[in-house]
Amino acid sequence: MPTLIHAILGYFVLLLTIRLLSRRPGSQLTLFEFVLVFLIGGIIIASTMGNDRSVTNATCAVILVGLLHRVVSYARNRWPRLGQLIDGSPVVVYKKGVWQDEVMQQMKLAPEDILAAARTKGIRGLGDIDYAVLERNGQISILSRAESK
Amino acid sequence: MPGKDTVAERITDSIPRVDNAVAVGEDLDFQRQWWRFEKAAWVMLALVLIADALGVFGRGWLARAERSSADGNFSVRYERVERAGTPSVMTITVNEGAQQNRQLQLFASESVVEVLGAQRIIPQPESSTLTPGGLLYTFPMTSAPAEVSFELEPSFPGVHTFELRVPGASSVQGKVLVLP
Repeated sequence: MPTLIHAILGYFVLLLTIRLLSRRPGSQLTLFEFVLVFLIGGIIIASTMGNDRSVTNATCAVILVGLLHRVVSYARNRWPRLGQLIDGSPVVVYKKGVWQDEVMQQMKLAPEDILAAARTKGIRGLGDIDYAVLERNGQISILSRAESK
Repeated sequence: MPGKDTVAERITDSIPRVDNAVAVGEDLDFQRQWWRFEKAAWVMLALVLIADALGVFGRGWLARAERSSADGNFSVRYERVERAGTPSVMTITVNEGAQQNRQLQLFASESVVEVLGAQRIIPQPESSTLTPGGLLYTFPMTSAPAEVSFELEPSFPGVHTFELRVPGASSVQGKVLVLP
């Protein structure tokens, strides 16, 4: 029983911590963030399992976390407001030649991040960008002026 | 079918548009609220760390406690906040007045053994006797002051009370908060 309670607490603590760490532009984990994920994961595992390292305990904990994740995913889709709370909302960071300073600052984005995303779409410079949007999964979507026409 | 929207169209149309042109679904009001929450949450988390370092959640300066018996024959050093499954030590210092015939008798309430999880007693008692509400330990005592240590490992979270007593003298009672 303590394992199940610890697993539930661990899941939500981890969810909140990861959510508070903000979205990473590019949505790709850097080596630095791999360290974070493994370290936090390891800490939660130690507390979840406690002294009972049996296969039974581990299996029950894995099943519970799986179920919990499914329930949260369902709730996220069922209630958009909850989804927004868990994933955030997309935000426009560049709009028709104007940087959205508040968003850039709060999301800890640099213009270089937008330009890097633009280059992956074959866009050469800011002049060709109509909108740049930081998506919920951390990716930056670029809408080019050519596409708008 | 003409005149009937598809599900995808209905969903797309319900998403707020930027400049009435791009369906982004941006909710800047929510986002601003979240940023405020984020700042407050980081402050809270920093405070939790400071509290932890000070021992509010056990194993630190604020968690340490000491109580003496009314007659001054013995005192107990323990942690008023403990963590389940984490070892700690409760130390009893006894003075000359507590000994009888070069022996020390010490009563420990059931809670010390059961909920606070006494794993080991140092030094090993000569004998331990079951008495109502707890155990009576007998130790040989050649010099004073002397120390008896209980190595604890609480199993259950909650507030637990304990009592230690030297028969014929006063007792010490205390409360321990065990965190999960």
